[in-house]
Amino acid sequence: MDSLLRTFADQTINGLVIGNIYAFIAVGLALIFGVGNLINFAHGSIFMVGAYVGWVCVTWWGLPLFTAFLVTTLVCALLGVIIERFALYPLRSAPPIAPLLATIGVSFMIDQAVQIIFTPNPQAFPNPLLAYRFQVGGVTVGAIDLLIAGIGVATAAALYLFLRFTQWGWALRATAQDREAAQQMGVDVVAVNRMTFAIASALGGIAGLLVGMYFNTVYPTMSFQATLKGFAAVVLGGLGNVPGAVLGGLLLGLIESYGVAIFGATYRNLFAFVILIAVLVWRPNGIFTNQRRTAPEPLTGTFIARSRPVHIPAWAIAALTVAALALPFFAPNPYLLQILTNAWLLGMVALSVTLVTGTAGQTSLGQAGFMAIGAYASALLTQRLGWPFELSLLASALVSAVIGVLLVLPAFRLRAVYIAIATLAIGEIVNQVILNWDSLTNGAMGITNIAPPSLFGWQAIRPHEIYWFTLVLLILAALVQHRLVRSPLGRTWRALREDEVAAQAFGIDLNRYKTLVFAVAAFIAGLSGAVTGHMYSYISHETFTNTTSILVLTMVILGGMGNLLGAIVGAVALTALPELFRGLADYRYLIYGLTLLLLIRFRPQGLLGTD
Amino acid sequence: MNTASLARTNGQNAASTNPLLELKDIDTAYGPIQVHFGVNLHVNAGEIVCLLGGNASGKSTTMKIILGLVRPRAGAVRFDGRVINGLTTPQIVRLGIGSVPESRRIFAQMTVRENLLMGAYHRRDRHAVAEDYERMLALFPRLKERLQQRGGTLSGGEQQMLAIGRALMGRPRLICMDEPTMGLSPLYVDRVLALIQQINTQGYTIFMVEQNANLALQIAHRGYVLQNGRIVMEGQADALLNDPEIQDAYLGEGVS
Repeated sequence: MDSLLRTFADQTINGLVIGNIYAFIAVGLALIFGVGNLINFAHGSIFMVGAYVGWVCVTWWGLPLFTAFLVTTLVCALLGVIIERFALYPLRSAPPIAPLLATIGVSFMIDQAVQIIFTPNPQAFPNPLLAYRFQVGGVTVGAIDLLIAGIGVATAAALYLFLRFTQWGWALRATAQDREAAQQMGVDVVAVNRMTFAIASALGGIAGLLVGMYFNTVYPTMSFQATLKGFAAVVLGGLGNVPGAVLGGLLLGLIESYGVAIFGATYRNLFAFVILIAVLVWRPNGIFTNQRRTAPEPLTGTFIARSRPVHIPAWAIAALTVAALALPFFAPNPYLLQILTNAWLLGMVALSVTLVTGTAGQTSLGQAGFMAIGAYASALLTQRLGWPFELSLLASALVSAVIGVLLVLPAFRLRAVYIAIATLAIGEIVNQVILNWDSLTNGAMGITNIAPPSLFGWQAIRPHEIYWFTLVLLILAALVQHRLVRSPLGRTWRALREDEVAAQAFGIDLNRYKTLVFAVAAFIAGLSGAVTGHMYSYISHETFTNTTSILVLTMVILGGMGNLLGAIVGAVALTALPELFRGLADYRYLIYGLTLLLLIRFRPQGLLGTD
Repeated sequence: MNTASLARTNGQNAASTNPLLELKDIDTAYGPIQVHFGVNLHVNAGEIVCLLGGNASGKSTTMKIILGLVRPRAGAVRFDGRVINGLTTPQIVRLGIGSVPESRRIFAQMTVRENLLMGAYHRRDRHAVAEDYERMLALFPRLKERLQQRGGTLSGGEQQMLAIGRALMGRPRLICMDEPTMGLSPLYVDRVLALIQQINTQGYTIFMVEQNANLALQIAHRGYVLQNGRIVMEGQADALLNDPEIQDAYLGEGVS
């Protein structure tokens, strides 16, 4: 009993310390959302940069801790200002989805840049404070715990005083509450926006440094996890609510800490995302308010820019298709065929994203989750139950459609930016469940020796065979989707995208059509995932990540949202180009990020135009 | 149009060769949709001028043009002789144009006190601001009772008072009001109109956009009628009030 109590106390301290760090991240996100109405996907990257800057200060330059904090704060604040100035400020009159996507591009670029400079490997962060630990009433407290708590309290107090009693603090609050009215009081909202980015980024950087010290390690991929945890904390406290973000962060830390104590460490990341979904569904304004209605959503519709699709005559499409089918005869280069096979598979996923996001207006950042479901379903059906590939392929796509719909179902009430966060969390949840459901999925080991695709005795093993198989699937998917989009059903989906309220007023049952669109999309993505699994013969919870989801969304934007041919062109371009220029392969995410950024800025309608 | 019959100028108008605010040949467009077609109007120092018109006539856009929230495609906005279109909103505010925005736009999470002081955000003369603050408390006893309350918890009428007080805190030379009586109870409509008249006699120049022509013309000196982006009538308030065409088109029947 006594030891149980002590464990509880230890976990509480643990949770509060981690929660403190989450609070740092969350406050930055909340400030930026409050002032600029922007979900900042680059926030985790700034956090990670903060960790590395601190690491460089301490291990390379041997600076004292205080100086390291100062340098981190300044560098990250400056980074935030640069991001705001060059990536976001030019988009100030674009629809709100544009800056959100721009921050995704920025985060790709920062993450890859850090990987190039410091290698993707984790770096040890020796912490001079770690040695000091002492007992308080039977509970072990480390100096680092106290440092984090102290910095947390001091920062919260400083922020409070700043917001309440300074001219700039008032300007920030006024801008957050009513941008246009603040302008009419003489507030320079552009400057306020930039200042907010500086403050939020400094906070994020400090959090990164603290995490590095706490876990004694820094690594590039800590960025995206931090963004997601920050979202969870922010949503818990209510989007844009700064004190709520602090409480949300602490609460998330506690829940995780207790959860890990009860279920085990591999569950750590599951709690955040389950909470994220649960709060979005039941308390979209956070748990500290009773109000269920979300603020009037400025982000409805997903088009960055409306345009007419570029007209491409049917004969040209037919010719391209024939050329693609005939390619293995003329260029039997296995490497080339393999790259294009990947492009066809991702092209299918791009089709599914362009359907959900482009046609029906439900921004999906979790499409890789559906791929994972399809892949695991087919691998398990063939391996455990001995089903033939042809049957398991169809069945797994159906499984993906059914589970996909069930997962997204609770989030149907949500719109625009909320549905984007929800789908992101769903993608993450799928991977976490795969990781933890050992008996079914073999956990972290993944599934090996998956049989290659075969059709009625004909095995698709050689590159050109898989090439044809995936290309034919892609063509079929595109044809079916083309029919659907041009049918009355497609018109209804577009009505959803344009105006949900109006669509409802015309008697359209929103849930029914959202179910249909997510089912079709999850079916196609699941099909692609299943084939991918059989092709690689190995899958794990790391095969289909959120990076894939975001990459596919980039493909769709590149081609033109809602544009079927555009989705395929985008997939080919973003899969093949970095491979074809071999020297660029290491820089691929830098290229993806830059592509996204430039597209949104200079050709938001994509190469072939939105449809 | 019968602009000519109404454009009988009074002494005040003729005397001021240099209007405080002047819109000259303003064209505005949102993308392909043109909102203003060569709008001309002016406000002299000391006047209450109202801009009337139905829905989607371009009234609110006129307000946004003056405040620099929307840029005209052609034409010029002059304030005290200086061209101000092209300046940012904060710059325009600092020149001395205050605003009472449409539907009040109170900072809902800030206290009444903070809302009032936000109105003086651009001022650096702290002592004068403190004096003005005391004057506001005297002018609005209702607000004085609620200084620590959040702006969003006030009633619509109280919020309108707060919005006007907030604008006055900036010591503007011109106050732009967008639909100041919209959505208020009849009691508060009367109070707001009386207040506008009162501050006008204290020397504030007022340009207001109103849908309720009858009310606006009762307190205004002059008025303009905007229709489909064009000024179709202008003149003295009483002349407009009695013009049969206006009666039919804008005052309707049974408007109190």
